[in-house]
Amino acid sequence: MTPLDQTHSTSTSVLEIDQLRLEIDGAAVVDGLSLSVGKGEIVALVGESGCGKSLSALAVLRLLPDAVNIAGGRIALEGRDLFGLDARSMAGVRGRDASIIFQEPTASLDPLMTVGDQIAEALTTHGSMRKQDALLQAREMLVSIGIADPERRLRQYPFELSGGMCQRIMIAIALICGPRLLIADEPTTALDVTIQAQILHLIRKLVSARSTAVLLITHDMGVVADMADRVVVMYAGRVAEAATVVELFSRPRHPYTALLLASIPHAAQISKSRLATIEGTVPRPSSHSTGCRFASRCPLAEDRCRKEVPPLADHGDGHQAACWRSQDMALLGVHA
Amino acid sequence: MSQPVLSVINAAVHFRQRGGILRKAGPALKAVDGVSLTVAPGETLGLVGESGCGKSTLANAILGLVPLAGGVIEIAGRGVESDNPDSLRAIRSDAQMVFQDPALSLNPRLSVGTAIGEPLIVRGLAKGAELRERVAALLKAVGLEADHASRFPHAFSGGQRQRIVIARALALQPKLVICDEPVSALDVSVRAQILNLLVDLQRDRGMSYLFVSHDLSVVRHIADRVAVMYLGRIVEMAAMAIIFARPRHPYTQALLAAAPEPDPVRQRAKPRHVLEGELPSPTDLPPGCAFNTRCPLASHLCRHERPELSARSDGSLVACHHAKE
Repeated sequence: MTPLDQTHSTSTSVLEIDQLRLEIDGAAVVDGLSLSVGKGEIVALVGESGCGKSLSALAVLRLLPDAVNIAGGRIALEGRDLFGLDARSMAGVRGRDASIIFQEPTASLDPLMTVGDQIAEALTTHGSMRKQDALLQAREMLVSIGIADPERRLRQYPFELSGGMCQRIMIAIALICGPRLLIADEPTTALDVTIQAQILHLIRKLVSARSTAVLLITHDMGVVADMADRVVVMYAGRVAEAATVVELFSRPRHPYTALLLASIPHAAQISKSRLATIEGTVPRPSSHSTGCRFASRCPLAEDRCRKEVPPLADHGDGHQAACWRSQDMALLGVHA
Repeated sequence: MSQPVLSVINAAVHFRQRGGILRKAGPALKAVDGVSLTVAPGETLGLVGESGCGKSTLANAILGLVPLAGGVIEIAGRGVESDNPDSLRAIRSDAQMVFQDPALSLNPRLSVGTAIGEPLIVRGLAKGAELRERVAALLKAVGLEADHASRFPHAFSGGQRQRIVIARALALQPKLVICDEPVSALDVSVRAQILNLLVDLQRDRGMSYLFVSHDLSVVRHIADRVAVMYLGRIVEMAAMAIIFARPRHPYTQALLAAAPEPDPVRQRAKPRHVLEGELPSPTDLPPGCAFNTRCPLASHLCRHERPELSARSDGSLVACHHAKE
């Protein structure tokens, strides 16, 4: 478990995203995203559907769909500029230096290959390892992630396994080459809650043993509270707020974060009491106007918010918020 | 106590497994097995459990969408007979359903007004100007505008579509609305809007909810009582305040422990006993208590004798040989 009071220095950044801008048909779907993930650190990138969190994750591994265009910014993995690499070098990075696991483990695995071959493939692709040795190492990996009867599992096909077991296999494939960065894009969203707890526990255990940096993409504030050291909240393609996990939950400085947290039913709340809501809907990327993108839904919005984009301002201890009125959160009347 | 809106007595739903040229027909899959529950007027019963536990099948059986293999289901005193169209027609004015994905629950070719008004038209309850008025009133009741009636589902966001589905469910003024994961497909901020709406509508109209969900925080917020299902059976049923403060069944305890709380300090202080193993196959249930393969308390007795639901002093029902009083 990660101590909550520990603040991480970014001097040993594994992943550095700087002013990333992604466009679809000229409209910015990600606009000025900057974040860093240090060694052994879990950084959660959160937001609602369409906020650009998954596209940002895909951009790191340059797996973006053709329609999405990298329009600016820089992504560095251990100081190496990933956008400057040719396709061949980039393929060498994927799975060896940085891996990704997705929401739907059954859709991520090849249905026509045994589990063992799929795990071993990562090793034989990235090194000169012989198939036999690779399978041996795959077996060890399964043991280390607590899978019983590893020999039988290695010979099985994905359809013979449950969703939770498939996600474990995905984690095994992602980590077998010992990458410095693991990107987990909604890794437990498709799983039941008791299986989710198992998978989160497994990720936590493995990354802390190997000091892997983790970029965790999720919409689930419970998972964030459980896993993250630091949190970056995105809204409509921009960073709304970034802070350590305790800071963010106890002192949100952006109205979007504050309302989002207040809209989740809490244990301490009276049942059937009114939950805070965010009126309206997320604006479409093509219709972004000037000013703060949250202004149209924000109860605190004033003229300035609609005209000028609020910069991501520093509030000390690494807490940043892009809001002109971040001193006025009490006026929202939602935070306990 | 007044007559329950919903009464389920010993209900069972079995799915036969088809055989093939090379395969014999397997044993029946007991999706729901010996479930009894009631829902009182104005009450919300939360039905929770993981995928495959039979909660949605039970919800479907209540509306006669799947046939019962045994037991009795009554809605407002009328028996549900899935093979009798008159019975189904009668109960559907008393009981309606809201499903998880509003995009799949609405016909894309029907205007919102037609979709909401259809139950009234089918039953000849309203037409012309009166129909338009009632549709407008329903739209307003769910927080939409009267002039939305002429638009089509694609013009609405996910949350708005779920409001339309709810308006349609309310058209016949049902006594019971079955909500099957009604907010699971929605974004967090929209989820709160729909939960608030459901609470408001119940307060104003007094109908009952059977609220099926895998999300315990949502159930805690909205339910008066909670039933926990595991592999086709109810393992614990109790008042909301009791079950969350003092879960007795080891499975309920595991579910509560596994659900991450959106509060880093509380969440990380929680004792972490991760439940081992996965669900056994529903066609090949272990003998005795179905939970015994994953249960930290399982004993010889649990592997041989199935525990029945038994009442505790505070009115809770628990099916466990080892659960404390």
